[in-house]
Amino acid sequence: MTAVVEVEDLHKSYGQVERLHGISFQVQAGEILGFLGVNGAGKTTTIEILEGYRSRDGGRVSVLGTDPARANRQWRNRIGLVLQECELDPIYTVRETVSMFARYFKHPTDVQATIDSVGLNEKSDDRIGRLSGGQKRRLDVALGLVGDPEVLFLDEPTTGLDPVARREMWSMIEGLRSAGKTIFLTTHYMDEAEHLADRIIILRAGVIAAQGTPEELSATLGYHTEITFEPSVGFDLERLRAVLGATVTLEASVVRFKTNRVQDDMAVLLDWARREQVVLDKLQAIRPSLDDVFVQLAGEATAAEGATP
Amino acid sequence: MSDAGLALTQTRYALRGYTRDRSALVFTAIFPLILLLLFNAIFKGNTKFDGRNVASGAYYTASIISYVITLVSFGSLLSRITTARERGLLKRFRGTPMPSWIYLVSEIGRTVVVVYVTVALLVVVGAIFYHVHVSVHLLVGLVVYVALGVSCFCSMALALAGVCKTADAASAIGPLAATILSFLSGVFIPTFLMPTWLIDIGKVFPLEHTARGLQSAFLLKGSTGINGLDIGVLIVWTAVALLVASRNFKWEKSGAGST
Repeated sequence: MTAVVEVEDLHKSYGQVERLHGISFQVQAGEILGFLGVNGAGKTTTIEILEGYRSRDGGRVSVLGTDPARANRQWRNRIGLVLQECELDPIYTVRETVSMFARYFKHPTDVQATIDSVGLNEKSDDRIGRLSGGQKRRLDVALGLVGDPEVLFLDEPTTGLDPVARREMWSMIEGLRSAGKTIFLTTHYMDEAEHLADRIIILRAGVIAAQGTPEELSATLGYHTEITFEPSVGFDLERLRAVLGATVTLEASVVRFKTNRVQDDMAVLLDWARREQVVLDKLQAIRPSLDDVFVQLAGEATAAEGATP
Repeated sequence: MSDAGLALTQTRYALRGYTRDRSALVFTAIFPLILLLLFNAIFKGNTKFDGRNVASGAYYTASIISYVITLVSFGSLLSRITTARERGLLKRFRGTPMPSWIYLVSEIGRTVVVVYVTVALLVVVGAIFYHVHVSVHLLVGLVVYVALGVSCFCSMALALAGVCKTADAASAIGPLAATILSFLSGVFIPTFLMPTWLIDIGKVFPLEHTARGLQSAFLLKGSTGINGLDIGVLIVWTAVALLVASRNFKWEKSGAGST
């Protein structure tokens, strides 16, 4: 595998405030990397350094073998951008806008095919001012793709979208995976990173807090399935604890416990219920999303940093 | 596609936008036409220019042309560039292989076309209704002063775009400056009605020299109006404005990149 993006000991300060405290990572060719963090964690600073918009204060950065600080036209022909904020001129149609952008690149893709690929084929001749928020965002992606880039930078592509538009964006990005694009995706939604990314980096206050595949992250960060139920009255909590361990809690008539061995513990539970003649109402096993892990990590960051501007 | 070809395509694209933008059409073309009609309805007959009696119709045709140059080259361009910056469009363009200057050239190209078309319209109206006698001298003066005026005010728009933090502020400055300068520069009120000190203030700014040059070409028989002082002042303002613009121009809205 070849690394498309290589970052080593990247530092960046704004005035007296250091925003990135020496982060290092790589993105491999064909990989979708989810770069996750709350607002102010340094996601946009990082992506804008990679995109060549922002200077850095220290460290080594290489995107497609070039230092983005020395971005030239050849390099720009090979990267695609979807910025966090870009309000296109509402007076032009979708097709006009994509065609115009196609002219900026040396080897553009077919304009209509690009519009189709983001699901805007029926909107080709509509003015941008008449598109919904989700459609506008997909047009942004089309503009990022029309230069046929080797690597695509997506800065919070679904922020502000409704759940349906978000799902549509997701399936579109999944389509890009099968096209073999290398994608650097920033997001503050863990479920988005979990759903889309091959690998996730969690950035916290300018430091990489955790990284790995979604599976690796769940393993290292303690990823317990939670089993809950409402037992019929008159059961003995201590005898339940005797078979399932002391972590079993009872709160407002709901019993809950966490496990990494769902099948085994479920068998023990059902066995106990039959013996004790307890009815398990609303029994469910919830596999918590990485979201919980993320919220926990982000919460620690907020507590550590105090009031961030 | 060559860069020159791309600049041309981008300019055509910008002009297509203009033809669809009703408020831009009204503001830059209809509004000056209404001003011309109004001034001529109010000040009928003759006025004085350079100590001579001249037709006020021709006087105001030349004057409104200089007003259009300021309004479109300075006001509209400044507003468009700062709005595009605020929307993140300038930043977006900078992230493509297209050289950034092509965007600015296309916006200036759009401005030049809009100004010349509006000016042509005003000249035709002036020739039909307001005693404008179209001669070779007049046309030479017209082309020269429109070109110099547009260059000067476009440069000033680029300079101010670097200073203005928000598009709201920039959109207010354009019409404000155009209107105040017009009163100082003998555009709305002939200078023989004005106190000398006010005229002297007006002479510092480029609009007075654009207006004077155009009025001379329109009103003085056998004169193109081309003279060293007016042209010199316009060129100096253009050069200074370009210098300021090259040092201060910003592609991203202020406050961006703090996270």
